[in-house]
Amino acid sequence: MIRTLKTAALVLTVAILLPGLANAAGYPNKTITFICPYSAGGGGDTSSRMIAKLAGDIMGVKINVENKTGGGATIGIGAVSKAKPDGYTVGFVSTSPITIRPHMMKAPYHPLNDLTYISQFVASNQPLVVKADSPFKSLQDVISYAKANPGKLKWSTSVQRGGPHVAVEAMFKADGAKATFVPFKGGSKVLAALLGGTIDVAMISEGNKATLDGQTRILAEGTPMKNPVTPGAPILTDAGYPIAPAIFFGIAGPAGLPKEVLDKWDEVMAKVVKSEEFKALAAARKWTLDFAGHAEFTKTVKRDYMAAKTTIADIGMK
Amino acid sequence: MDLILEGLSLSLTLESLLAISIGVAAGQILGAIPGLTASMAVALLIPYSFYFSPWIGIPMLLGMFKGSFFGASTTAILIRTPGTPAAAATVLDGYPLAQKGKGAKAMKMALYSSVFGDTFSDICLIFFASLLALVALSFGPAEYTVLIVLALGSLGMLSSRPAWKGVVAMLMGVTIGMIGLDPITATERLTFGNPELEEGIGLIPMLIGFLAVSEVFRQMDDSTDELSGRAINFSSKREDNRVSWPEFRGCIPVLFRSSMLGTIIGAMPGLGATVAAFIAYGEARRTSKKPEEFGKGSLEGIAAPEAANNAVSGSNLIPLLAFGIPGDIAAALILGAFMIQGINVGPLAFSQNPVPLYAIYGALILANLVNLALGFGLVRVSRFVFKVPRRMLLASVLIIASAGSYALRGSIFDIQLVFIFGVLGFIMMRYGFPTVPLLIGFILMPLLEENLRTVLLLASTYDEGILFVFKRPAFLAMTALLISIASYIGWRRRRHRRAELPTTDS
Repeated sequence: MIRTLKTAALVLTVAILLPGLANAAGYPNKTITFICPYSAGGGGDTSSRMIAKLAGDIMGVKINVENKTGGGATIGIGAVSKAKPDGYTVGFVSTSPITIRPHMMKAPYHPLNDLTYISQFVASNQPLVVKADSPFKSLQDVISYAKANPGKLKWSTSVQRGGPHVAVEAMFKADGAKATFVPFKGGSKVLAALLGGTIDVAMISEGNKATLDGQTRILAEGTPMKNPVTPGAPILTDAGYPIAPAIFFGIAGPAGLPKEVLDKWDEVMAKVVKSEEFKALAAARKWTLDFAGHAEFTKTVKRDYMAAKTTIADIGMK
Repeated sequence: MDLILEGLSLSLTLESLLAISIGVAAGQILGAIPGLTASMAVALLIPYSFYFSPWIGIPMLLGMFKGSFFGASTTAILIRTPGTPAAAATVLDGYPLAQKGKGAKAMKMALYSSVFGDTFSDICLIFFASLLALVALSFGPAEYTVLIVLALGSLGMLSSRPAWKGVVAMLMGVTIGMIGLDPITATERLTFGNPELEEGIGLIPMLIGFLAVSEVFRQMDDSTDELSGRAINFSSKREDNRVSWPEFRGCIPVLFRSSMLGTIIGAMPGLGATVAAFIAYGEARRTSKKPEEFGKGSLEGIAAPEAANNAVSGSNLIPLLAFGIPGDIAAALILGAFMIQGINVGPLAFSQNPVPLYAIYGALILANLVNLALGFGLVRVSRFVFKVPRRMLLASVLIIASAGSYALRGSIFDIQLVFIFGVLGFIMMRYGFPTVPLLIGFILMPLLEENLRTVLLLASTYDEGILFVFKRPAFLAMTALLISIASYIGWRRRRHRRAELPTTDS
């Protein structure tokens, strides 16, 4: 009896001490929670799961993806911002809930003060497209038409009040043109509306493939990244318009992550984006792999956050 | 011809048959668990699909989607719990039939209808993809509006007596459906500043709470003796456990109409399987010779939504293959899987490299056969599973309902919603409020609002204002259809009334 108790006590002690011992072994040594603020199946979710698998394999720990959706992705990101800053809770972030929407709503976090930006792994193009048989041959054609016919030009983007919406709205405002934004839920519905003639112009990432398929024509690019399908398409800011926000997928954690954690992720993510698996996924989804480590990613976020702040106040979007 | 054979030889192999079987079986099981959808399962598998050969991975995904629709129906029929929202309309007649001990008959009818709808839409996909895609693309917000009005018209006849209870239920559904962001201005409505409500009430927690949990609450009222009995009684009579040929033959017109509706709705990006199932249900009831049986266990009432929701899953691929536009999240995932494997889909695929397309066609048809075969197995298994005492089943339904709704968004709030809607459903059942109007108000009215308001927004950009819709051929065709159906109903009613007159005299 005594012996059994002794054994039990020993086992218990070891069980209590083991995690403590493991903790000393450096980051990471236990399961990491990866919060995805979007629901299963979308681009955010697919890339989160791919990263969880690949980064987990490299680091030798399990990375669990948790979908916490709602509030236009702000609920999931809010949960990341409130986690303990030990590197064991990180999450997926993308442009809209970080650099754009906090200027128009009360987000449960401050993008610059409550989060640490770990790395950016994808940047996508946002081409401004018209149907292949459209009379608009250049960005100037679109602007002139919108100026001459106030409110008659119909356009859309995949997310209402996302980066592209702000960028195109600011473009029209800057030239004193007036056009009508027609909301649809998601890029593929916008593309269908464009091809079906319901709208005239769209800024959607789907525009690249549709142009390759001969369905659309690219007139401009809404992000700072040159358009690979139509390299001559002017970037909005180069054409003299107020803003062309980067459309990114990245990883963030709560504010105050230790340097050890950031260095580890920089090293691991550089490998992940070079892996065959991730390249295949990116090629499939027509993402451009654009890796940026902690320092550079933080700079991008700060730049776009401040630019969007001014622009959104100027054009009076709410 | 050589290309077709080459394509088929890719997908009709022993490996792909095995892959399809695994996919269908997994789909049927996942479909039966509320909250776990096939889309979610596929999303989980995408990181691994890279390691499969394309002609194992893709048939498996296709099988999974097809299997999940039937799996979802079995729980809808037996325990009033639609495994996916698309099976919600199957509850309306499937559950009453199961309560009469004819659960096996209902499940088999659902299985035949699912496979029928699947096969129908696959054939349409193979032979008329480009034509149907053109039709679908000519549908804009104006045409969607007419289509939904058409659906509301035929579903409106489902309203029970007294009429005011139906109206109240409908208005409640509309109000719940309005919670969230305004579809045009994206400002918050009825959210009371709660960010959890910003994206609206989820369809899954709402359906599970309103249909399944409310039924659990109702049964908890029963005596202890009753609760110790078997969860679901299956009649031992042979004819109650199978669908006879005359019964099936009676449903064939409904099957054709519903499959056609499902195929057309599936080809349009933006409506989806749940909507198709309800529209087909309404149409089946409108055209049925025995409309009074609907809601009480009509076989036609099972055939219609089941054929329609499965037909959507095939025709979803139509805009995908023709334009590269995925019709819904399932199609988007399949697109992702295709492209990871380096298979281009879209308008150029037919001319550039059609072989993979033929292989997909082969896999689709094969998956239907496998679905039929494995479906019989699922019917058998579920008869066995539901022999447990009723009180144990009720408890497990509550647990599965909570876990399923949590799994979807990782939100405790959704579990709370399940129980709120459970209580609401229970109270409504107690006081004789009908279920269907609330579901229609919740599912169709937000779509009507979104499309109608988009039309009004578009009207402001035309010189002729709202009259711009008459320049759209698809709108004219839809309106003509609406008017002819409405006048046919009016004419039939008048004739019906005249025929009734002598009896009222005597």
